[in-house]
Amino acid sequence: MSDLDFEMKLDRLFNEPPAMPDSEAFARLVELRLDRGWSVRQVALGAAGLVAGLVGVVQVLGSRLVLETAAAATGRQAEALGGSLLSLLEVGEAASALPYGGQVIWMGAALGVMALAFAVTRAVEELK
Amino acid sequence: MAGARPPASLHDVELAALAAVGDRPAFGELVRRHGSAVRGLLRRMGAEASIADDIAQDAFLAAFERIAEYRGEGAFSAWVRKIAARLYVRRWKKESRFDLEAEPADEGHGGESVVASRIDLDEAMKALSPAERMCVSLCYGAGVSHVEAADALNLPLGTVKSHVKRGLDKLRLRLAPATGAEGEPAGSVGHV
Repeated sequence: MSDLDFEMKLDRLFNEPPAMPDSEAFARLVELRLDRGWSVRQVALGAAGLVAGLVGVVQVLGSRLVLETAAAATGRQAEALGGSLLSLLEVGEAASALPYGGQVIWMGAALGVMALAFAVTRAVEELK
Repeated sequence: MAGARPPASLHDVELAALAAVGDRPAFGELVRRHGSAVRGLLRRMGAEASIADDIAQDAFLAAFERIAEYRGEGAFSAWVRKIAARLYVRRWKKESRFDLEAEPADEGHGGESVVASRIDLDEAMKALSPAERMCVSLCYGAGVSHVEAADALNLPLGTVKSHVKRGLDKLRLRLAPATGAEGEPAGSVGHV
């Protein structure tokens, strides 16, 4: 057998492995690990969305102080803008003053953000 | 979307394209088709069955992550086998179980009786030293060039070439037909 023939034979032998009897079980294991990885990724995305949402809410509410300072320091336009935003914040404060307390509002907002994050991940999955 | 055709009726390239957009059943079909090839290669490289299966799973998961890189230019099986071989080499190096640079002693195989009965590649591979198995299966099973193998194994190119040559000599002896070619000298090394 020539060198070339032998190497071709070897290539063929390596490329035609015998089918293993548990190949179906092996494939299922891989699929299981893929699914598990996907679930973990979804939860991670949801958690990241939640954290990002909360940070955003904190940033918006935290800007109140800045707006108040800006409203006092600048002219009429800034006052008008700041005033309108402050009125929005006042609405928020009024909601916090309701009998069931501000914590409930916060919790509701957090749950809403979480639901939104899961909805987005679900929609991404469906689109794929 | 998976489309109307069942995965089993699709070509590897079509399945890979579906997997690239997140179709996990399509990728499952690829695993079903090529799982044995990947596991077989790892066993031929010298991995124990359970380790070979673990690494094969990891290789398929890695392949799924990188499926967009597969553009159908070669066989999907060859692409995954290359990934698996690299994973095994990495693990093998970490464990440092064998001295790859050591020149194997001549085991004195008594070729005549072996040649008399044709044995399959898996059996023949067992006659190779660990380094020879690794180099031969990397170059012929995973389609890695000698240069790439030397790079992956951190070995001089010449060492890899001599491992491959010695391995091929032994395989030639064992895989030769019952009559004929056993006396031929081993020849040049391919896959450079």
